[in-house]
Amino acid sequence: MAGAERRGGGIPETREHLFKVLVIGELGVGKTSIIKRYVHQLFSQHYRATIGVDFALKVLNWDTRTLVRLQLWDIAGQERFGNMTRVYYKEAVGAFVVFDVTRGSTFEAVSKWKHDLDSKVLLPNGTPIPAILLANKCDQKKESSQNPSPSQMNQFCKEGGFAGWFETSAKDNINIDEAARFLVENILANLKAFPNEENDVDKLKLDLNPLKAESKSQCC
Amino acid sequence: MLKRRASGFLRTDKIAALFTKVGKTYDVAGEICRKVQELLQQAEGRKYQPAAQESLKRQTSTTNKPPSLSPQAIKHIWVRTALIERVLDKIVQYLVDNNGKYYEKEALLADPVCGPILACLLVGPCALDYTKLKTADHFWTDPSADELVQRHRIHGTHSRQDSPSKRPALGIRKRHSSGSMSEDRFAASARDYVESLHQNSRTHLLYGKNNVLVQPKDDMEAIPGYLSLHQSSDSLTLKWTPNQLMNGTLGDSELEKSIYWDYALIVPFSQIVCIHCHQQPERGGTLVLVSQDGIQRPPLHFPPGGHLLAFLSCLENGLLPRGQLEPPLWSQQGKGKVFPKLRKRNSHNRSMDVEEMPSVMETATDYVFRIIYPGHRHENTASRSASVDDDEEEEDKLHAMLSMICNRNLTDSKRMKDINDVTEMQGFGAGVFSWQLDHCNQGSLCLSCSTGGSPYNFSSCCTCIHDRTPLKMLCESMKRQIVSRAFYGWLAYCRHLSTVRTHLSALVNHSIIPPDKPTSAAGGLTKEVWSKYQKDKKNYKELELLRRVYYGGVQHEIRKEVWPFLLGHYKFGMNKKEMELVDEGIAHRYQKVMTEWKACEVVVKLREKESQTATKFSSGSSIDSHVQRLIHRDSTISNDVFISVDEMDSVDRELKVQEDQSLTRVCLDAPTVVVAVDQQQSVEFDSPDSGLPSSRNYSVTSGILSSIDDGQSICFEDGTEEETGPEPQRPDLDHVSPTKGLAPPGFVMEEQPSSQTDCKAAAEESISVCSAAYTIEMLDTVALNLHRIDKDVQRCDRNYWYFTAENLEKLRNIMCSYVWEHLEVGYVQGMCDLLAPLMVILDKDELAYSCFTHLMKRMSQNFPNGGAMDTHFANMRSLIQILDSELFELMHQNGDYTHFYFCYRWFLLDFKRELLYEDVFTVWEVIWAAKYISSEHFVLFIALALVESYREIIRDNNMDFTDIIKFFNEMAEHHNAQEILKIARDLVCKEIFMHQHVCLFTPFWPH
Repeated sequence: MAGAERRGGGIPETREHLFKVLVIGELGVGKTSIIKRYVHQLFSQHYRATIGVDFALKVLNWDTRTLVRLQLWDIAGQERFGNMTRVYYKEAVGAFVVFDVTRGSTFEAVSKWKHDLDSKVLLPNGTPIPAILLANKCDQKKESSQNPSPSQMNQFCKEGGFAGWFETSAKDNINIDEAARFLVENILANLKAFPNEENDVDKLKLDLNPLKAESKSQCC
Repeated sequence: MLKRRASGFLRTDKIAALFTKVGKTYDVAGEICRKVQELLQQAEGRKYQPAAQESLKRQTSTTNKPPSLSPQAIKHIWVRTALIERVLDKIVQYLVDNNGKYYEKEALLADPVCGPILACLLVGPCALDYTKLKTADHFWTDPSADELVQRHRIHGTHSRQDSPSKRPALGIRKRHSSGSMSEDRFAASARDYVESLHQNSRTHLLYGKNNVLVQPKDDMEAIPGYLSLHQSSDSLTLKWTPNQLMNGTLGDSELEKSIYWDYALIVPFSQIVCIHCHQQPERGGTLVLVSQDGIQRPPLHFPPGGHLLAFLSCLENGLLPRGQLEPPLWSQQGKGKVFPKLRKRNSHNRSMDVEEMPSVMETATDYVFRIIYPGHRHENTASRSASVDDDEEEEDKLHAMLSMICNRNLTDSKRMKDINDVTEMQGFGAGVFSWQLDHCNQGSLCLSCSTGGSPYNFSSCCTCIHDRTPLKMLCESMKRQIVSRAFYGWLAYCRHLSTVRTHLSALVNHSIIPPDKPTSAAGGLTKEVWSKYQKDKKNYKELELLRRVYYGGVQHEIRKEVWPFLLGHYKFGMNKKEMELVDEGIAHRYQKVMTEWKACEVVVKLREKESQTATKFSSGSSIDSHVQRLIHRDSTISNDVFISVDEMDSVDRELKVQEDQSLTRVCLDAPTVVVAVDQQQSVEFDSPDSGLPSSRNYSVTSGILSSIDDGQSICFEDGTEEETGPEPQRPDLDHVSPTKGLAPPGFVMEEQPSSQTDCKAAAEESISVCSAAYTIEMLDTVALNLHRIDKDVQRCDRNYWYFTAENLEKLRNIMCSYVWEHLEVGYVQGMCDLLAPLMVILDKDELAYSCFTHLMKRMSQNFPNGGAMDTHFANMRSLIQILDSELFELMHQNGDYTHFYFCYRWFLLDFKRELLYEDVFTVWEVIWAAKYISSEHFVLFIALALVESYREIIRDNNMDFTDIIKFFNEMAEHHNAQEILKIARDLVCKEIFMHQHVCLFTPFWPH
């Protein structure tokens, strides 16, 4: 779901991208809080549990020529209804996988979420979508010795196929903008590496197979 | 008012002169001068620059500068700029302060009162931020659900014709492919025209493609533009609009004056008779439209990738039913439409059957299609066709069709001329058409083979009528086809209805109890009616009460009394004594359950504390150990995110094998357990998302329990939850002790320890005793569920007045009790939402517990293990398909969201999140009563009513799955519940009507 580009006179002007970004992770790790903080600059202890999916839109003036609109899909942490996550994941181009640093088991589940993600959505070129690991609630982190070292986390990300990781706090607004920026950079890099031909194709959802010209034929 | 000083000011531009002058002595004004110069230069330069570069400049310039300046803006550029820079007030103040220098004595600014007032008045406007001026970009941003509804209301009051939503579809992805209206006449403003390229209710956008190149003039480069095909009720129109006009980068005035309007194309297809296509591999395709008068339109160059074919395919569809392409495109299985395969026809080869001639089939890269209107032609040549038919003795039914076919084959001079025109114009006279002309020259009586058939094979064109035998055969074959078509149509219809019947017949009750007999039920169940019932319980009919609830809800004051009846806690007709008996039974059960799970919770908490302490001894936290573990065995991680129960089972099974079959309980004080624990430690065992230490941790820590020097961590008293923070307070033992006898066998609860020093011993003892009652698996399950419940209870409708800390504690107790009794399902998110309204109304733990249990009998089916959700979706699919096929079609086309996942939350929570609390009460009552009045599946009709009440918005905005789920999320708590309920009740009736019709018309169809 790479964004539409508007061109004028052959010279690129403002490029506008719409990116669908998923936010997934175990129940209660702070997915909704991260999104509300990022989009509305708000924090509350009392966001209701997400049922199904919620949305938020963040508009970024990426640079003078690029406008990025992030459509954030806040997916319920306990969403287990059959095929539904597959539909939710469809056409996503990036993801945040969130865990709660105060609860080890939510970290354990990270790999499962990542695997679920990779099994259900891929970029048009067949590679997994860029995923960022967010170690949320870092404001509540206990003594530093209790937590994995950055190098361990780096190794984990490398082996788990994460593009990177950030310690975040929705409460204290730590690293959330940075993480989002990093993800958008990854998405844009993907876009550049594999320019999306579907920009034109998806105008029309017909299954088209142009005939091969087997022989020269007379013109009209 | 302002008088300029006689000297020093230019006559032409007073303001400019004033600003320049002031700028020399006053820095702020100087800055404005500089900015204005810049802007003016840009405006000047723009005239000579291509539009694209201009807009590029706009992007790089600061946001304070408007993208383009209208003449109005240029006229007032000085004041405008000063205002945008928010310094106008300062400059005026400066002028007032120095009025002697710039103004005559009688000037307003020189006035000792008016001058300062003016300066002060300008402070306000200058405090505003003008950087968020509405630019073209705003046109494309997604409107909120509220705005969509608002727009619909505004437009909806007018006739349908005036209700196009003037916006492209919600996602920018669809910007060019869908959207709002199309109108042939030039709209008042140019922008309206650009907007008109989208779809509306009057015209359909059949095709849209950006960056189609057109060379508007011979001496120009081809320029890209947006090609679109619009269908209104009576015409088909092609439009091509240069990108410069589409981009919205030009200002309004520029847009209207732009030279590009001259290049834009608007071609009604009624004028077009012929289409030439030239395909070049790798380079896309070119399409030339030729008018009746032989004039060629500028070639449209499509980029590579099948776009030309796609366009033709859309065009062909758009021409239907009256017109068609000749030859038609071919349908190829799995590929959709393809170009017809060309077969050069030789004079000796008259066979029309393509199948027989595979060897001569060729693929062509160039085609000529003609646009023909068979029906239309029929009128012109009626006399002729009649004469043909008169000779035949065929049935009257076939007459019309036959003549139509014949007409197509009998060319008229006009059409012949077209062909010649084309041939000549293109300079291909000796090429493709030479053989055709040959045919004509042969003087054949029937010209169908040449003109009708064009260079391509097409069965219906090629029904040469050389003598009457083929015609008779043709008629026979047509007769067969018509009959078989009719039959298959009927068959499909019957099958469809049969599906309807099987799917939906069970959804509604056979007869609906009407709203007006014996009396109107619109007033609902009022206090008066209720007290009447209470006085005369035996004679008052239950159904009459339910009828009132169904049509009018329950008066709020008596909800607390009525709900237990509606939910089945009490039965209608019970007397006071019977009701008391029910209450006693429930209270007893509730206490028992509370005791059970609270006892278990104590153990769970203990484990938690221990493991927390234990991790202090082991180096690193649980996360750390998880990291290490995951890094070293990531290939063995279970692939399934959602099912880890199997894993648990297998571990458990291993354990059981090791031990005596009967000894499924882990007794920590028994020596055998040590073995078991060791066994378990060697097994990689991850408790899924429990939020609590895995059983492995437990096993480890229980071994070192004696070394724990932390009495507090295992104290039972209230208020010792220093680490759990805002969580509700844990039960104290006072609650538990009186009902000790109800505890599971082997369970012995210690009396509450009197001092901190006793805690450890007591805890140790209690854990050893308590643990005996629970398997580790069970403790894990309970811990997991308690954690989830705590998470959700804490954030349950906190903005609603009822949910204070005290009531949240009650909520938690009830939820834990329910989950304890249904551990196999466990707590699933959403359950708190279902309990909350019951709590608000009933406000009594036991009663709410009982009613919730009753409610969950139906609702639990919607949760993952139930399977009702799929049924709901399937039913929605059938209902929408039958009751609103247009919308169904749209859902199907826009990425197919007929899975109806956007209704998930509705069904899971009986619309609790969609409505305000007050409305939830009413809607729930109606759902409960509906079971007896109209339909057990009334929720379906509410869902349908929600979809239907916004159907125009859904349709006009051409919503896809994301749009619709977003729309309904934003509309949550904004619905008109009474209206929705009314629609839902009507829909039930409609469905019953449809159902009866189905029975009526398909009496012989096997079920």
